Amino acid sequence: MAGNPFTGISQRRAFKKLVGNSRDRLYRMAYAWTHNPHLADDLVQQTLYKALNNQKQLKDVGAAEAWLFRILSNCLKDYYRAKREVLSAEELIIVNNRTPEYESEEQQLVDKVRRAVSRLPLPQCQVITLVDLEGFTYATVAETLEVPVGTVMSRLCRGRRALREFLVDVRPQSQLDRATTLKRVK
Amino acid sequence: MNKDEHFSEEQLNAFVDGELDPEEKSQLFNESERSAKLDQRLCKQRKIKELVQHAYEDVPPARRLGGTPLARTGLFGKTIAAGFFLAVGLSAGVVAHNYFDPGLRGELVAANAAAEQAVEIENYLLHVVSGKPEQMLAALEQARFLLESTDEDEFRQVEIIANEQGLNLLRTDVTPFAEEISALQRRNVVFYACSKTIQRLEERGVKVELVPYTNPDYTALDRVVTRMQAGWKYEKI
Repeated sequence: MAGNPFTGISQRRAFKKLVGNSRDRLYRMAYAWTHNPHLADDLVQQTLYKALNNQKQLKDVGAAEAWLFRILSNCLKDYYRAKREVLSAEELIIVNNRTPEYESEEQQLVDKVRRAVSRLPLPQCQVITLVDLEGFTYATVAETLEVPVGTVMSRLCRGRRALREFLVDVRPQSQLDRATTLKRVK
Repeated sequence: MNKDEHFSEEQLNAFVDGELDPEEKSQLFNESERSAKLDQRLCKQRKIKELVQHAYEDVPPARRLGGTPLARTGLFGKTIAAGFFLAVGLSAGVVAHNYFDPGLRGELVAANAAAEQAVEIENYLLHVVSGKPEQMLAALEQARFLLESTDEDEFRQVEIIANEQGLNLLRTDVTPFAEEISALQRRNVVFYACSKTIQRLEERGVKVELVPYTNPDYTALDRVVTRMQAGWKYEKI
């Protein structure tokens, strides 16, 4: 049915609740995409601000979560566009060479996987994290990122293949730089 | 061709992601029972998925410049009205009691009580971004108008947040409206100075001194989002 599903008072409250409850999940996703807590937090705030201001654009209550993550994705694109650090998302690889103190084997494993994820091109990183962390279906990811389902599947495939390779061949911690950098891959 | 090679990597991904239909899923289950190699491929795919999930179970907290946003505390709606003023009252007592004169402290206590008994009325967050004195004055006059447009038994909260050039409104050395601000504070208008703008100025070597009782603990964006989530009206001036 067409029209804004959050028109009445109770619906508006439901919308605000949805937005409020999504904050931590959006932050986790923004962190997984950027590996930068400060940037992730800024992106989430912008996302919530835009969501609250543009809630009339949401036509289908069932699509609210995908809509929120789409706004988050667009905020990240806007950020990179403003920074002029990339020409397109396809060209982007986020390289996170941060070297947190190793506290435990578990932490080492977590850091190793995060480093591997951060080395993926952003589109692959986004697909993998939306599927694995949010449990989104391929169709929902396609809707969120505004790409065909086939693209979702191929990005997932390449991304997971790359992760397998990264996780087999991880350089020793001492060889890594300390900064988080963005690289253009072309 | 081995049987397991009938299954593409995309199919294996679809299997571990629960995207296969029941028939395909059964077929893959049966084949993996017969083929150790296929079973191993499936395990590898599942392992990658589980590693990613494990790596982001706990992410580092956001390095906020200000305090924890109210949205995370789950305080919405009218609870904010009472809780926020209670927080202001407590902060006033603990942090700045040396500065408060007894009269103002009494007014804050009265405000807390009023907030608790408040009838439902729209609260306002006014956002000042311009450094032009006429814009600043417009914000102050709007706050005054909002307070005066309520009935006696109504209690309206009004907050003013200033950032970018608008921060000049709240800087002691540049504001032309210190007296007006003080008068509004006595009527329970709360002023916020954007923590991010302050940080940027200080990074440029500017010493930022704020008018008394200004809260510097939030970014403007954070304050706008949390107040809008709480149902407040928002006006950018």
